[in-house]
Amino acid sequence: MLRSAKNIMKGYSSAQVLVRNATANSDEQISRDNLDEISQLTYSNAEFFDIMDMLDKRINDKGKYWRHVAKSMTVLDYLVRFGSDNCVLWCKENLYIIKTLREFRYEDETGVDKGQIIRVKAKELTSLLMDDERLQEERRLNKS
Amino acid sequence: MSKIEANLHKALKKACSIEESAPKRKHLRTLIVYTWDHHSSSEVFEALKASPFVNDEIQLFKSLIVLHKIIQEGHPTALKEAIKNREWIRSLGRIHSSGSEYGTLIREYIRYLILKLDFHSHHKGFDNGTFEYEEYVSLVSVADPDEGYETILDLMSLQDSLDQFAQIIFASIQSDRRNSECKISSLIPMIAESYGIYKFITSMLRAMYRELNDPEGGDALQPLRERYQEQHNRLFEFYADCSSIKYLTTLVTIPKLPMDSPNVELAANDNDNNENRT
Repeated sequence: MLRSAKNIMKGYSSAQVLVRNATANSDEQISRDNLDEISQLTYSNAEFFDIMDMLDKRINDKGKYWRHVAKSMTVLDYLVRFGSDNCVLWCKENLYIIKTLREFRYEDETGVDKGQIIRVKAKELTSLLMDDERLQEERRLNKS
Repeated sequence: MSKIEANLHKALKKACSIEESAPKRKHLRTLIVYTWDHHSSSEVFEALKASPFVNDEIQLFKSLIVLHKIIQEGHPTALKEAIKNREWIRSLGRIHSSGSEYGTLIREYIRYLILKLDFHSHHKGFDNGTFEYEEYVSLVSVADPDEGYETILDLMSLQDSLDQFAQIIFASIQSDRRNSECKISSLIPMIAESYGIYKFITSMLRAMYRELNDPEGGDALQPLRERYQEQHNRLFEFYADCSSIKYLTTLVTIPKLPMDSPNVELAANDNDNNENRT
């Protein structure tokens, strides 16, 4: 389809294609397998940067593509819990990107508030990242 | 002008558009993210100063909201830059005559912002514009009770003027039945700020009681405690008023305070004895 053509044209790496498909503009939910696959890839350095770059793009997308933002937040939340330590470092370094989404606002043509889900995710992820103890504990439990 | 700067100017222009509406979060966010990306806020202030918003009352009011949000959420350099530009901000208050409704709101907003900046330039420990809680500030202040006393007093004056300004906004929302989103949106930074200040006062007062743990110390702190109670009640009302505005409740979480002000006299280790206060 269009996206797969774009993937080739823009020369995205396979990790990036994976992220792009997972955070696509459709109502489909991201599968757990997909999340696992992405988080495993963050343990390799080259792929880690590819993944984060793509997520950064998606997260800063405009309101019309609120699904990109919402799904990327889901991925990021998963990476913080299950991904490599680098994911946590990256998020802390770029906390403002997440923090500033706590007031995200978008209404679709029918006036339905689509921002709510993003505001909630942003709030939850921000408070997790600011609570080192809880974060360490969660990551420890997820490893075992 | 580089592409990045051009984007900055565009975002600012759009955030402070001429319509009587809330500044769009999207553009505001671009400005805030810019200060973090570049670890610098001088470009944002240069752009603000060079823009012609000041000629229109609504645009000027919106740019004050934008300014306030950037100070709160932006990189710490935003606060420093704002302190540097205090006189320029003050001068904005003299542009429009006092007659119109927005003219009054603008002047009150500026009065509040100047107080806030004065506070920050006196009390350097708070390096972030939202008063997010930082342990060390309360420790530093408590180690020197005189300084702590003064800091709490200053925080309380700031809270008082925030409250006054909020009252003025509410009065103007009620007198105006039209779309008042623009005015309401100025309450958003006020909610965050008042809660931050409240939490600071609470924990600092508590720490002071713990430090001066004798009747004499208690007497000395008595005036602060009374004022604290008063402010607690007003803040409770303020949040109740905010909760009645639907536009606000969907956008921000409005903090819920307990009906009665928490007891600040108890030492941290016997928090369970809350009922025993005299």
